[in-house]
Amino acid sequence: MIITDVLCPFCGALCDDIVVEVEKNKIIEVREACEIGVSKMMGHERIATPMIRENGELKETTYENAIDKTAEILVNSLRPLIYGWSSTTCEAHRKGIELAEELGAVIDNTASVCHGPSILAIQNVGLPSCTLGQIKNRADLIIYWGSNQAEAHPRHMSRYTSFPRGFFSEEGRRGKKVVVLDVRKTTTVEVADDFIQVAPGEDYPVLSALRAILAGEENVVPSCVGGVSKEKLIELVEKMKSARFGILFFGLGLTHSRGRYNNVVNAISLVRELNAHTKFVIMPMRGHYNVTGFNQVCTWETGFPFAVDFSRGQPWYNPGETSAVDILNREECDAVLVIASDPGAHFPKKSIEFMAKIPVIQIDPYPNPTTELADVVIPSAIAGIEVEGTAYRMDKVPIRLRKIIEPNHLSDEEILSRVLNKVRERRGE
Amino acid sequence: MRVTLTPKKDFKVPVEAETIKPDNFAGKNKSEIESIALWHGNKEVKLGSLFDVKVEGVNKEETKIVIEGDASRIKRIGEGMTSGEIMINGNVDMHCGAMMSGGKIIVKGDSDAWAGREMIGGELVVEGNAGNYLGAGYWGAEKGMGGGMIRVHGDAGDYVGGHMGDGEIIVKGSAGLLPGLDMSGGKITIEGNTTLPGGEMKNGMMVIKGKVLEMLPSFRFEGEEIVDSLKLKKFTGDLVRRGSGTLYVNLIPGE
Amino acid sequence: MELLIKNGVVYDPINEIRGEKMDICVKEDKIVSKVKNPKVIDANGKLVMPGGVDIHSHIAGGKINAGRLLRPEDGRKGAEPRGKLTRVCTGYSVPNTYATGYRYAKMGYTFVMEPATPPLLARHTHEELIDTPILDNAILALLDNNWMTMEYVKSGETKKLAAYVAWMIKAVKAYGVKIVNPGGDEAWGWGKNVNIDDSVPNFDVTPRDIIDGLAEANEMLNLPHSIHIHCNDLGHPGNYETTLKSFDVVKGRSNANRQVMHATHVQFHSYGGSGWKDFESKVDEIAKYVNAKKHVTIDMGQVMLGDTTTMTADGPLEYGLHMITGRKWTNLDVELETGGGITPFLYSSKVAVNTIQWAIGLELALLIKDPWKIALTTDHPNGAPFITYPIVISLLMNKQKRGEVMANVHKAINKRAILPSIGRELDWNDIAIMTRAAPARILGLDRYGKGHLGVGADADVAIYDVSPEERESKKIQSALLHAKYTIKGGEVVVRDGEIVAVPEGRTYWVNPEFDGESTKDMLGDLTGKFEKYYSVNLANYPVQDAYVPHPVEIKTKV
Repeated sequence: MIITDVLCPFCGALCDDIVVEVEKNKIIEVREACEIGVSKMMGHERIATPMIRENGELKETTYENAIDKTAEILVNSLRPLIYGWSSTTCEAHRKGIELAEELGAVIDNTASVCHGPSILAIQNVGLPSCTLGQIKNRADLIIYWGSNQAEAHPRHMSRYTSFPRGFFSEEGRRGKKVVVLDVRKTTTVEVADDFIQVAPGEDYPVLSALRAILAGEENVVPSCVGGVSKEKLIELVEKMKSARFGILFFGLGLTHSRGRYNNVVNAISLVRELNAHTKFVIMPMRGHYNVTGFNQVCTWETGFPFAVDFSRGQPWYNPGETSAVDILNREECDAVLVIASDPGAHFPKKSIEFMAKIPVIQIDPYPNPTTELADVVIPSAIAGIEVEGTAYRMDKVPIRLRKIIEPNHLSDEEILSRVLNKVRERRGE
Repeated sequence: MRVTLTPKKDFKVPVEAETIKPDNFAGKNKSEIESIALWHGNKEVKLGSLFDVKVEGVNKEETKIVIEGDASRIKRIGEGMTSGEIMINGNVDMHCGAMMSGGKIIVKGDSDAWAGREMIGGELVVEGNAGNYLGAGYWGAEKGMGGGMIRVHGDAGDYVGGHMGDGEIIVKGSAGLLPGLDMSGGKITIEGNTTLPGGEMKNGMMVIKGKVLEMLPSFRFEGEEIVDSLKLKKFTGDLVRRGSGTLYVNLIPGE
Repeated sequence: MELLIKNGVVYDPINEIRGEKMDICVKEDKIVSKVKNPKVIDANGKLVMPGGVDIHSHIAGGKINAGRLLRPEDGRKGAEPRGKLTRVCTGYSVPNTYATGYRYAKMGYTFVMEPATPPLLARHTHEELIDTPILDNAILALLDNNWMTMEYVKSGETKKLAAYVAWMIKAVKAYGVKIVNPGGDEAWGWGKNVNIDDSVPNFDVTPRDIIDGLAEANEMLNLPHSIHIHCNDLGHPGNYETTLKSFDVVKGRSNANRQVMHATHVQFHSYGGSGWKDFESKVDEIAKYVNAKKHVTIDMGQVMLGDTTTMTADGPLEYGLHMITGRKWTNLDVELETGGGITPFLYSSKVAVNTIQWAIGLELALLIKDPWKIALTTDHPNGAPFITYPIVISLLMNKQKRGEVMANVHKAINKRAILPSIGRELDWNDIAIMTRAAPARILGLDRYGKGHLGVGADADVAIYDVSPEERESKKIQSALLHAKYTIKGGEVVVRDGEIVAVPEGRTYWVNPEFDGESTKDMLGDLTGKFEKYYSVNLANYPVQDAYVPHPVEIKTKV
């Protein structure tokens, strides 16, 4: 059976034109997707059954037991942390937020270790942005800053930005200029028209210099800022001002270098000010396919996008305090539920060392380094392959993930729903 | 009245204690103070279950709270206080003196992040070091500190006085990255070194008596002036937004 | 389940009941003529009205959520913990979905129209509505800056345009057609804007053509609601002329049941003057027009003095506001369809313009003689958050109260507004019309059981603990903010101002039937648009049934 218009549950580009061939409830071929997408959709090793750690070893058990154990850990916790969410559906997010509310837990998603700084920056200055189709049809200047999307979002350029022919850009790639700013020559640079190398950690002063030039104050700008010559900076400002429609995409190179969210504030402010001269927009290159979705759901349900602390009933939002890595590094929490993410592979050593000391529950389709830390492991069905539901693309366009094959495991939503019921049962509600 | 609180044990899960402030203790006896509510993680508990309480004197006018021992896991002490005094004989956790409008807090040790957040009056003294976001604003809020005085005898972390509208911060040691972000009024003095001061500065004054390790490229040099009997270089900015903040600097990079 | 609401003072304008002491009977989810074994609610001396109907309030979707994300400092303002039945609440001008549902219900409202959904993002709006408790709801789809619309308007292919409108409304589970600064967002795609007779860049049509084309398609499809328009030129001095020109575009059309144009938040469109210095009220001109004509209805878009968050699909307007205030600004242009922007705004009593804006909204309600032509709104949250409605009502009912406010605001109000000279005070019947009967009728929902208490109507009832004779503003405000009872679909959801039940709301959507041949031709064009220009595939575009778990489908025939 051939299934068309399938969404790829990998990166924030959320391609929805994938063709999948299924035979006997198995995916046998994936077309149109990038290499990573194909490998993701073809599937790999799964967690077969629920497991509970006994005497240091994970032992197979039933869903019932694993869910009950999960509820027991969470109910007895004074400060539970519930973390992950970026590779599952918004339907699961909603259930998770309800669970966090019920428990008085802290809930956070992977944004807090990727584009959390971008969100903090948006809260400071806003975000002049648009949907990706707008860029495809109109943009004639495309800037990637600290983002190597050729590797992280392989089809981003071919589907949405540099290559496609749009309504007002019939020439395709020939009618568009691509500029890359980064600390090193990435693979994206190979398809760019211009590359500006910024010294590591110098994004903030470079952006300030660009804004000073734009404001007509180029006299005060020194001859070299952050490793970039003043001439080059002036040339870039001219290029931006003379574009018909410009877009600045930024990645972790900007959010995670010195200055963090303030780099993004500076970049957004630059774009905002460019609108006095021409049309200019900006967009974070969100990583996981539904990292944006969690931030959306969490915002409409709690008022805040991530790092929400329900311990006192009403939500308290304070990234740096209520964000997962900070809580773990400060050893504040006494239990962690990890879902649809892998902090065991991506968190700082200090956080992981602390996770090894407290009860950890993992809900995920795949074994990964977090499994090694987990005391309870609950396998789930794969969202977007075995479960349908909503995901939000990096530009906040919501699309419905398709179910392609029948699952052998419970969905994240169902697992969380059962955990919630068990929690209520244990509390005698 | 002098109330001494001594933590009964080391907390790992932090306690949230904005109820520990003179406004809330004034005129109360020992058992009333012991029954004041605090949050320990997701449980509401009584103050008496976490602290030994000693009450001396009865004067309602002058309520002084002394915390003996380690308060490095007690957040929000003195948050929103309007009068009286708090003395912490040790380190203190986040949000100490946040949103305070009067009275005085003395921290003998270090304070963690967000000390004096959104303060509008009163005085906060940290005799050790202060963490990040000293005297800063809340996420998304346009104004941070609106008045009052913060003194830090040691060093301060990153983002001192972000979005400051009024009041004064003095750091006797050095400060981290980007102090005085988006400042629109008030005064920040850093007696040691700092990095990239005054980003997005609109108005107000910063005085860096040590060395600026890195300068923003968007400030205009205006000449030299005598400030606090020091000959300092005067800059105006942040010109990215045509700001008219004043930045006095002793030593710039390369000096 | 049966209820008997006994001895209330009933205002049910659709059924011409004007403050009569009578009983209302409820069985299951409908109003009935009698009941056998009811639970009795004593409404003696209390006001009884149909549940409130808000015709225009930005409660759900991409824009409001971008507003929430933009403003954690607003979010923390209204923070309330989870209750036994209720979820957490946050926000003042940008409340979370739960706060939205509970706060409306506490004010006796049971239906809210989310008035500006970009079709591409409709799935998001519906997701939020699922999480908005209690309220019945519907959405209006933005169809005016759409390339398909503009191309059909230009080519004069009205049947294909109607087919497109029908297909889109059905595809995104919408209730009707929304127009926001027609042509303006397409121009904003290049950082520009247009007024009613300017040519939209690259499309060679004028906003006037777009309004006329969509009105024709709307009437051809026989939709329950008329076109719902946010006119060009919003918020600019002297814009009342554009507003009157916009009204005039459809003056030759008619519909037996209703208006053919609903113009929203007209407060923002009733400005005179050539700049901010001589900015003044032109409500006299607007009211003269509306009083004389039958084809147009409006809602207020009242401004209240204080801080709020502005958000509209009018991209260039929000950028302009941001340039005035320098405050943070979010923009979201939506490919082939529309745009949108968000920026916080403080309406200050010390600022002449803001004070006059405050007066203008009230003037509209007081100078338009027939309350059936004007619904009460604040264009939540643009003029003010919806929780200020009780204050707005108390001002409309009390001249002295208005005078007290005017004494403490910028003196420009005395010269450049009309309010100081207006003596009219609205009564409860007027209020019942403006807050439930008129919005229901303008939306065409009166035919589907909303906005009245006649037998067969939905059992959506508000009971306020205030005597009809009460004149003291504080008492009126308090009673309206915390209803004694709100009954939604026959279930008591609010008692003594507190939430006591949290049923899920229903979503009204229209399924317009239209000529198959035109639809087929249109789909050919639409397929081309998706293949070449959209960033999603056509197969993934329509909103699946899963997003409307409690639908009320309204089928219309040509």
